[in-house]
Amino acid sequence: MKVRTDEFKARSAETTRNPRRQASLKMVYDGLHKGRIAAAEDTHGWDDERDRARAIKWHTINNLDYYLDLLDKNVRANGGNVFFANDDAEAREYVLGVAKANNVKTVIKSKSMVSEEIGLNEAFEKAGINPVETDLGEYIIQLAKEAPYHLIAPAIHKTREEISDLIQEVAGGPHQEDPKDLTDTARALLRDAFRKAEMGVSGVNFAVAETGSIAIVTNEGNGRMVTSAPRVHVAIVGMEKVIPSMQDLSTMLRVLIRSATGQRISSYVTVVNGPRKAPEEDGPDEFHLVIVNNGRENLLKDEQLREAMLCLRCGACLNACPVYRKAGGHAYGWVYPGPIGAIVSPVMTGKKAGRDLPFASTLCGACKDACPVKIELPSLLLRLRSDLSEGKTDPKEASSPLAERLSIKVWRFGVQSPAMFSLAGKLSSLLMAPMSRQGWVRWLPPPLNGWTKSREFPRIASKPFRARFKKKEQR
Amino acid sequence: MADKQDFLRMVRTSLGVSERRDIARDDATSYFLSRDEVSDAANDIRVDAAQRRSELTEEFVTRATAAGWNIHRVDTIEDAAEEVAAVVRDHGAKAVMRSDHEILNSLPLESALKADGVELSVAVRDPSDDSEEDLERRLALREQSFDTEVGITGVDFAVAETGTVAMEPRAGSSRLVSLTPEVHIGVMTPDSIIPSLDELFALTRDQHLSGEHKGMVNLITGPSRTADIEANLVIGVHGPREVHLVIVG
Repeated sequence: MKVRTDEFKARSAETTRNPRRQASLKMVYDGLHKGRIAAAEDTHGWDDERDRARAIKWHTINNLDYYLDLLDKNVRANGGNVFFANDDAEAREYVLGVAKANNVKTVIKSKSMVSEEIGLNEAFEKAGINPVETDLGEYIIQLAKEAPYHLIAPAIHKTREEISDLIQEVAGGPHQEDPKDLTDTARALLRDAFRKAEMGVSGVNFAVAETGSIAIVTNEGNGRMVTSAPRVHVAIVGMEKVIPSMQDLSTMLRVLIRSATGQRISSYVTVVNGPRKAPEEDGPDEFHLVIVNNGRENLLKDEQLREAMLCLRCGACLNACPVYRKAGGHAYGWVYPGPIGAIVSPVMTGKKAGRDLPFASTLCGACKDACPVKIELPSLLLRLRSDLSEGKTDPKEASSPLAERLSIKVWRFGVQSPAMFSLAGKLSSLLMAPMSRQGWVRWLPPPLNGWTKSREFPRIASKPFRARFKKKEQR
Repeated sequence: MADKQDFLRMVRTSLGVSERRDIARDDATSYFLSRDEVSDAANDIRVDAAQRRSELTEEFVTRATAAGWNIHRVDTIEDAAEEVAAVVRDHGAKAVMRSDHEILNSLPLESALKADGVELSVAVRDPSDDSEEDLERRLALREQSFDTEVGITGVDFAVAETGTVAMEPRAGSSRLVSLTPEVHIGVMTPDSIIPSLDELFALTRDQHLSGEHKGMVNLITGPSRTADIEANLVIGVHGPREVHLVIVG
């Protein structure tokens, strides 16, 4: 997918001015966020389960080479194929190769964020192959030619009117407003693809190293279709999604599904152990697992940022985030929005372009509280801010202008002694006086006007608290 | 094209470890349990579940009902067949397909359905058919499953914690039989009920490690659903809209 992480300011501003999008974003909070909280409260030992999930993931990530090797061996032992793709181009080329070898004309896809990363649909289209997204939300945004807005609710920003227009453009039927009718129309449209597709492409929620299995979590049933109906199944997985044992799945599914949708379990969890085994007559003849790096090594390399590799892609941090719920999913400019996107997108695709993303947070910590594996999202965001401001990883990436860096130096000098601090306070109060109305500063002259463009702050008191406190003490 | 060894080398370099190494045991994961521990645990699970059968059955029925299953409890295989026939009748369905699951082979389904003029097809080839397995036949079977109105399958495990049933594939078509029709009926006995997902995956892991390799395990909990349009819950997308479980015994 084209990286547009450098457009955060413009695209988030656009969303905050769009009342329809703001209404959609409220549903993220009322539906998904509250659902997660209810599910957590309803679960005995919820916090311990999160700790277990975190420990399983940390163990795996710290021994990732071992478990990827084991996964590869066991998928092959089950009769499947494994391909290691270092970047998006390698992954695309391999999947297209499989499609061509099988003379594929139609591909049915269930949700895969990695396939969005590598721009798989465009590659299929260029090769004359028809890719059909079959998750209802993904289908809607494929018709709209847009990127997913949310990790698990990709079309949450679309109103029913917009969805009707998109679906009826294909179906040729009358305008529909009832979600049930729209779903029925989409079901009918997609049936044909399910019947005839020669190849299915899916994502992977967990890849189990010891048994060479993959687990796919869905509610609609499209994940089962994709892995059962066509002759060929290709599963695409980010290299961080491996877990050691099938027995670890129970904990991982519990925390993932509750955090994603608030359900105890999804309608379907499909555990695929390679191609069909005779005398089975449905299920794929060929199974391929594509394990993708595509910039994840940049996270792995850094002992602190490595923690982002624990992510299960449940979307809970998006729902919890006050910034995501205003800025919307497209503002983040790549596949992964919200707090986790603000960390992984710049690191995977280039910090310089994505330099605004780690700053798109209030550091309130709601994301960390929501995270099923307790990722220290605020710390990681702060760390990236520091790297970027000071150009630590690359001087060319330094995002703060010279003036800002100089004024921070002055600030540091000013707060180092009580006398200096007191003097600076008095000076600021005096300087602010002509610019404040009723105790509030609403406008500052250039070059400080950035501060007051979208916020105001109280004027610094003419008599500081310390002076007033002293006076009170004397009384 | 990335070579596997190059890829693993990249991972090791990123982790700051240089060579292939033995990894330290970590009890966060069940991976380090010995083969014996895994199989002993599996036996304990079976014994424990048998002892707690009625309690687990009640819990399963509660959870399964909450998840959207229609539960039918019957005492005999004849009654089970009648319950299945009643659901088929309710829908006026004529195209009915069943998988080749053992529990269904013991049910007098054909006769129960015949009264309504329903031809029940079994999604498996005739044992007398000794022609080569071919793609054409399989594609025809796939077509047929998409034209089926009611699909009937057995159940291999039932999970009380979540109201989930787990199904492993059988000969012929079994995956699509529970997926493509608008109505799915699962037939099960209470001895397939286990407490939670922990026990489910302990058992399937043991199975796999003892060489009993299944192409997949499908966990099904209620009907197909979506909330992709303005977060409205809609039942019945690509999978069945209506799901039934007939519990025999």
